[in-house]
Amino acid sequence: MKKHLAGLCILLIMLVSAFPAFGGPPTDAVEKTVNRVLDILRDPKLKGPSAKQAKTEKLRLIYKDMFDEMEFSRRTLTRNWNKFTPDQRREFVDLFEQVLEKAYLDKILDYSNEKVVFYKEDKISDKQVEVHSKIITSSKEVPIVYRMINKDDKWKVYDVVVENVSLVQNYRTQFNDILASGTPEQLLDTLRKKVKTH
Amino acid sequence: MRIFFAWLTILFLLMGALPAFSAQDAPGAQNEKSLSQDALETPAQSAADGEPKSLKGAQEKTANFEEEYVEEGDADEKTQGERVAIADPLEPFNRAMYLFNDRLYFWLLKPAAQGYNVVVPEPARISIKNFFTHLAYPSRLLSLLLQADFAGAAEETGRFVINTLWGIGGLLDPAAGGELKLQRQEADLGQTLGVYGVGHGFYIVWPIWGPSSPRDTLTIVGDTFLYPPSYISPWYVNRGVWAFEKINSASLRIGDYESLISAAIDPYLAIRDAYAQYRAKDINARKTRSLLFKDHEDPTPKPGDGQKDDFLRH
Repeated sequence: MKKHLAGLCILLIMLVSAFPAFGGPPTDAVEKTVNRVLDILRDPKLKGPSAKQAKTEKLRLIYKDMFDEMEFSRRTLTRNWNKFTPDQRREFVDLFEQVLEKAYLDKILDYSNEKVVFYKEDKISDKQVEVHSKIITSSKEVPIVYRMINKDDKWKVYDVVVENVSLVQNYRTQFNDILASGTPEQLLDTLRKKVKTH
Repeated sequence: MRIFFAWLTILFLLMGALPAFSAQDAPGAQNEKSLSQDALETPAQSAADGEPKSLKGAQEKTANFEEEYVEEGDADEKTQGERVAIADPLEPFNRAMYLFNDRLYFWLLKPAAQGYNVVVPEPARISIKNFFTHLAYPSRLLSLLLQADFAGAAEETGRFVINTLWGIGGLLDPAAGGELKLQRQEADLGQTLGVYGVGHGFYIVWPIWGPSSPRDTLTIVGDTFLYPPSYISPWYVNRGVWAFEKINSASLRIGDYESLISAAIDPYLAIRDAYAQYRAKDINARKTRSLLFKDHEDPTPKPGDGQKDDFLRH
């Protein structure tokens, strides 16, 4: 009997340990998406400057699937969101996305075989988690945390924390400053100019 | 009999482990499927079955745009901490200094670092950076001791000894790799004051050194006193070594600053906020390691906490 019990105990322990120490569906979701991005970047068929457009198109689709743009925009504007009319909000979300694309696309396309490791998942609330990852380059490790929210059973990213700096919070500070003395229209105008000057 | 039980256990394990794996795989596989379907749906497909779906999507979107923003209290509590503002009474001066540093980077430091990049291969530059970081050990050790992070102080000392002996005087960093995994403890004096609850005071941008505050200026001053190369004489060799170190470390970071400012709407504010966020989380992470403060802190490690040296703490 004792031996049965021991066997059962071992069985239970093994079952528990068969699950990875971290990583539920949210980690799965980001990890798969990141791997799809890496596959595109490593794709030998998509090498050279001529393939840049094709790569960009593919990455854009993945971005839309991975990020909750609405959540991202609302969180950067916080209460100021309510000062925007629905049309202004639509334009804001669109412009903000373009700003981000222009800023980060080249950085992503520059990718040269850095390693991406996912190692931890922290729960913020029932519907929100933080997925911890790091990019390992030859000279350093860059910690990147994806904050994810569950909506309609799908995990999407609403904030990215790079080296301790939350993007949402960073833009919040900048937008707050503009909106403290300016109107939503002025902010949109700043963004329109930013998108054009690139 | 014993052998029989052993086999039985193994059999159980096999049976138990297999469904566990597949159960765990299944949602992932589904996820992948839905992901690829959503994202890589060809136009033909969406035309075929997508009409009601896209209509629904459009409705959903309009609804979203009309929805007002409501502050979420509890769910965001964990991230509320990063809404740290730093007072900036000297903004006009700071903006001028920011501009000065920006020009200094683009006109002087970046071209120098780019030229240097061409001549010196990356592994050598990394080694040189390791070497200078290695020499800054006294400042890190003092800070760790003052923070009552004795485990950290021991790790730093272990690193110093190992890298001096087996890392060719600090050119290589064998302590960080392999089974030792002794990561450098990024401790400094301003941070130490922060651990004891001293606030920034206000934001100040120093020429050359960049974002700082009265509290973190202690880091700049302390680092100079506790950094052996500061005592090199004559002065021109001293300055030469200093400039060399700056160019070398800049050569490994070309592009970081550029992407930061290209993503920013107002680069000055973006950097100020990044600085405030970074320091606040850095100090929180340090507090969880300090013998004096760790019990009063939230035990869950904050983002950016040195998880990689977790096992050393237990």
